[in-house]
Amino acid sequence: MRALAAAAVGLVAALALVLTVSAIGQPPGETSPKPLLTTVPGPRK
Amino acid sequence: MRRRASLVLLALAVFFAALSPLLRWYAFPRLVKIPPGQYQEMVLEAKPATLLDYGTLRAEEVEKVTIVQTLKGNVEESERIERSAGRDVVVWDCLSYVEGPDGAMVSQIPERYVFDAHSQAPVHATGESVDGEAVRRGGIEFKWPFLTEKRDYEYFDAQTRTSAPIHYKGTRTFRGLEVYYFEQTVPWTKVRYPKKMPIPGIDATTLEQQTGTTRWYTTKRMFWVEPVTGAPVNGEEIHREELRGGTLLGGRDKVTAFAGHVKVRPDYVDHTVELVTSQRRLVLLMTSHLPWGFLAFGGALLALALVLEARSRRVSA
Repeated sequence: MRALAAAAVGLVAALALVLTVSAIGQPPGETSPKPLLTTVPGPRK
Repeated sequence: MRRRASLVLLALAVFFAALSPLLRWYAFPRLVKIPPGQYQEMVLEAKPATLLDYGTLRAEEVEKVTIVQTLKGNVEESERIERSAGRDVVVWDCLSYVEGPDGAMVSQIPERYVFDAHSQAPVHATGESVDGEAVRRGGIEFKWPFLTEKRDYEYFDAQTRTSAPIHYKGTRTFRGLEVYYFEQTVPWTKVRYPKKMPIPGIDATTLEQQTGTTRWYTTKRMFWVEPVTGAPVNGEEIHREELRGGTLLGGRDKVTAFAGHVKVRPDYVDHTVELVTSQRRLVLLMTSHLPWGFLAFGGALLALALVLEARSRRVSA
């Protein structure tokens, strides 16, 4: 019975962690202020 | 004491073992996505190329034609579309700007491409367009899905505004990376004139109606795609355009408007390979390294828990 409870605790903790991290997700960020290019950029460093 | 420790180890073993599939099949599709605010530029060159001089309407061999391709994530539009689509969406405002050897504009074609941030599947929304005309894309464009498969994909062609299969042609090594090579040939097809062209005094939108001269295009498109990220690390096109018939050509049947073997400029290949290599590690962490690591760690903890439990029972017996 104790082993079953310990296993359940582990499972619930894993579920809670993954669901929380997935729900938070990534911040959307912002649209770049840089323009769509109409000139040829120089060499990339 | 040993019994309590074995129960704690058992809980940890289940925790890590459960994390393994949850990370791979639940978290991965929700967390690994194209960021909506991404900004990316790419420079491609055809050296040498054949280019139409619109002043004399004669095709000339030129030293170089450059294509600058910019992709800019529109965060506000992606948030607006996400509210009705019910999934994470990326909106790319793109511009393909073509410049001749003298630095003058040859053509420019804007596009708006809307797609699912994880699967790369097209999302149809108001504003989806090529050169100001509404389109309904099928398949992919610019990028392949994460965990690209060894199969053909539907690829959207902005010139013809249609989708056709791009064929998987085998696995190659490119700059030390394992890549999938894809190839598509678009046969000669009549296409629209770009709205912005270097023809003084002529409206490109009514050019065909006024002169009867039509624009035709064919290309062989090649991509070397890193399969974990789905990102092309190199691309080439053997591209030809012709103007055919009508009054514009002064009695000639056809004239080459552009012909060249277009390749990514080497500094952009270097940059892309570097970027994709780092992103590949992150995706592999979610799809392989962490899931397998957690599973192995969970197994080891379970074994330890069982050993401790067996010892505590032996002592109490």
